Amino acid sequence: MNPLLAQFLAEANDLLAQVDEGLLQLERVPGDPELVNEVFRAAHTFKGSSGLFDFPELTRLTHAAEDLLDAVRGGRLALDSQMTDDLLAAFDLIRGWLAHVTAHERLPASAGGDAAGLITRLRSPLGGGDTAPAAATAGVPAPVISAAPDWLAWFDAEWLTEIAAWLGTTSSTMRFVHYTPDTDCFFRAEDPLHLVRQVPALERLGLVQPPAWPDPEDYDEYTCLISFVVATRAALGELDYLFRYVPDQIEIVELDAGAITRHLSGEPPLTAEEPVTVAITPMIDTELAADARAVLRAAHSALTMEGVVNEGPRLRSVRHAVTAAARALGVPVDLAESGPDELLATVARLAGEAAPAPAMAAPMSDMSDVAVPPPPPMVVPADAPGRADDPGGQVGTRVLKVDQEKVDRLMELVGELNVAKNGLTFLADAAEEEFGSRVLSRRIKDQYAGMHRIAEELQAAVMDVRMLPLSVAFGRFPRLVRDLSRRLGKTIDLVTEGEDTMADKDVIEALGDPLVHLVRNSLDHGIETAEERLAAGKHGAAKLTLAAVADGDAVIVEVADDGRGVDPERVKRKAYEKGLISEEELETLTDTEAVDLVFRPGFSTADQVSDLSGRGVGMDAVRASVEKLGGTVTMRSKLGQGTSTRLRLPLSMAVTQVMVVSVAGQRFGIPVDLVVETVRVPAGEMSRVLHQEVVMMRGEVVPVVDLARALDMPWTLAEGADRPILVVSVNNQRVGLLVEQFHREVDVILKPMEGLLAYADEFSGTALLGDGLVLLVLNMKEVLGLAARVA
Amino acid sequence: MTSDTPTRARVLVVDDAATVRLYHSSLLTDAGFEVSEAANGLEAVEAALGAEFDLFVVDVNMPKMNGYACVESLRSETVGTAAPVVMISTEDRPGDAERAYRAGANLYLVKPVAGDRLVRVAGMLTAVEVAA
Repeated sequence: MNPLLAQFLAEANDLLAQVDEGLLQLERVPGDPELVNEVFRAAHTFKGSSGLFDFPELTRLTHAAEDLLDAVRGGRLALDSQMTDDLLAAFDLIRGWLAHVTAHERLPASAGGDAAGLITRLRSPLGGGDTAPAAATAGVPAPVISAAPDWLAWFDAEWLTEIAAWLGTTSSTMRFVHYTPDTDCFFRAEDPLHLVRQVPALERLGLVQPPAWPDPEDYDEYTCLISFVVATRAALGELDYLFRYVPDQIEIVELDAGAITRHLSGEPPLTAEEPVTVAITPMIDTELAADARAVLRAAHSALTMEGVVNEGPRLRSVRHAVTAAARALGVPVDLAESGPDELLATVARLAGEAAPAPAMAAPMSDMSDVAVPPPPPMVVPADAPGRADDPGGQVGTRVLKVDQEKVDRLMELVGELNVAKNGLTFLADAAEEEFGSRVLSRRIKDQYAGMHRIAEELQAAVMDVRMLPLSVAFGRFPRLVRDLSRRLGKTIDLVTEGEDTMADKDVIEALGDPLVHLVRNSLDHGIETAEERLAAGKHGAAKLTLAAVADGDAVIVEVADDGRGVDPERVKRKAYEKGLISEEELETLTDTEAVDLVFRPGFSTADQVSDLSGRGVGMDAVRASVEKLGGTVTMRSKLGQGTSTRLRLPLSMAVTQVMVVSVAGQRFGIPVDLVVETVRVPAGEMSRVLHQEVVMMRGEVVPVVDLARALDMPWTLAEGADRPILVVSVNNQRVGLLVEQFHREVDVILKPMEGLLAYADEFSGTALLGDGLVLLVLNMKEVLGLAARVA
Repeated sequence: MTSDTPTRARVLVVDDAATVRLYHSSLLTDAGFEVSEAANGLEAVEAALGAEFDLFVVDVNMPKMNGYACVESLRSETVGTAAPVVMISTEDRPGDAERAYRAGANLYLVKPVAGDRLVRVAGMLTAVEVAA
């Protein structure tokens, strides 16, 4: 994709988000002039940028939306919810189009039809039909040339016929390009074929061979003898940009249906012997002259306005512009000390010499010589920083928009650097053990310490780049809640808190689906209709809160409503009916435990499955996806007062701290988050309860799982030796893991299991260690399940 | 293209739309100009206070300070630059050009401006020294 289009798409994203947000806020604060203006501006900027490309339907639709907003801004219309719906629909449609543009670099074929109805709706409050837009759309098209250039003959006549017919029925345009690369272009590192292939929205490409190829013995393969003809729907701006290095080798014309038809019917086809000449060079002078005359006309306008140009910068600037224009016209003038009158006389003289300039024909001597003081200068901030030491420097802070993939790549490299760095410690050991040099070992360790610090800083810096505010995840909800609540006939105030809390982009990204699910659940099941609420003595409008708060190296996101809450008795009964709990549990489960049942696979509290929360995917999916991120979900509920679901997620998923242990001679990683402590228990203190080995720790009985057995690895511990036990906490339960040996803690970049191993649930991923060993990191929950089955 | 720019002329491209800014500034950079950017009128005025420019290319409709106000400020005694100003607008409404000239612009063009035209105009207007 060409960079200009890429920039447009990135900018469009921001602008559309601004429009959406603004429109939604406007529903709450109707008529807020500031907000209306903001939305209008975003739409306006968007339309302006879209004009650089050949997306006529896009520009037309935006234009209709902009006109409506302009009327609201000017106080001629009051924005009602129907208009808001139409505007939102228009920008949704546009967003869909842009997704298509991202993939195909053009609008979908259905764009015209899809837009038509919306344009009519947007324009109907304005009282006009769809008459105005036709004249006002698509910025200013480049002149359509009515006479086809002779090189059009290089295109297939049948295709041209089709195109002429198509152009007759659409508002789209077709541009034809003739590109004749210089014969020695290869020596200037130009690559004509590459250039041609980058033409956006390419419709047709033709290769033009020379009239006759030279004899083989004279043939120089470093000479470019071919040229290209291209038909494209790209806008002139894009083509200018693409061919900016070879403007003298390019001829671009935009042809209408008539021109093509005339070409097809009349002129004789081009014969190969006729050299194709590009008539751009001589054109430049006349175009330059036209521009120079435009500058003179502007100067004339300004000079004849009363009190505009009398002295100071204004006079000097007109003097300068006129001097430049005169020079371009080939009649240099010296205006060093000229006043306004003299300037005006010079402009008149130049205009006469540089005919034709119809606008200059009018008499221009009626300027009064009364010196009116210039208008008061605009107030300029007095404390504007001087930047004399930084001529032409960047203005304001520059924010880079970086492709996600680049940041991911950086993160990967940091991971590899960590691995390489860790290799140094093994080298230090080797220096001492294998080569007997303690000094060298010490020096390597020193070097390692320095590198470690830099690597850590680098890692922190990259992690920082990856941090995004939670507002990114919350951003979609105002719209979602609005649409859903309208559909459900419920009144809901959405409150978001802590949007500035930062978390890793992967966390934010992965948070999206669970949050949507929770919010939908609240809307659908948790929150009552206004009547039910009023009957229950509550405020008619429900409150839904999305809150985020940082908590150490975790972020807590809470979705809370003041709806009807979860009925623990009903949940228990349902779970029992579905066979999820035993009869005994039905009696003994506490309310908190009962509420937690909704996370069990196969549970759904809604008696009827609505179209909102969907079917099949329940809260168990939410819990699973949150746990996959290394987080936890808990739900608290008070019957009749509301429900709050709390997600606790690590701030970052990129680096995991694992504790390395060995089992039966193999090393495994265990996430440090889960580790409570490591102990060595004398063999005599181990005991047995039923079939379960246990150990007493500070008065608590902790079951002990033999990790080797659970993983089905042959190994027996020497009789009487101390038992190395790693105590972990999984699901709030302490479990001791009997291992062979403890090793150190390491920071690793966890890579998920892929391919055939993707189904090996007992491992949460692999990590590369400094000595080249691949460490398997255990998924403790699964491993404990495995152990239970083995027992 | 424009062989008669003696040293690298400095241009300030002022537009709130990043795409348009990129378009204009890359065209001008490729043509050999030294280009700086500003995202609104206020930034432009601030830049002009700190550095000298040989040409300003200014959008009309911008937040914070629009193009007209921006050009008026550039021409005020506080900033006092005599460098040529080309205003480029999305709209082509009657009276807009006059408003631009009244504000102090030297040329008013309507978007989208063909790349070669922008470069040609910039070359023409910077081919002579700005009077002190």
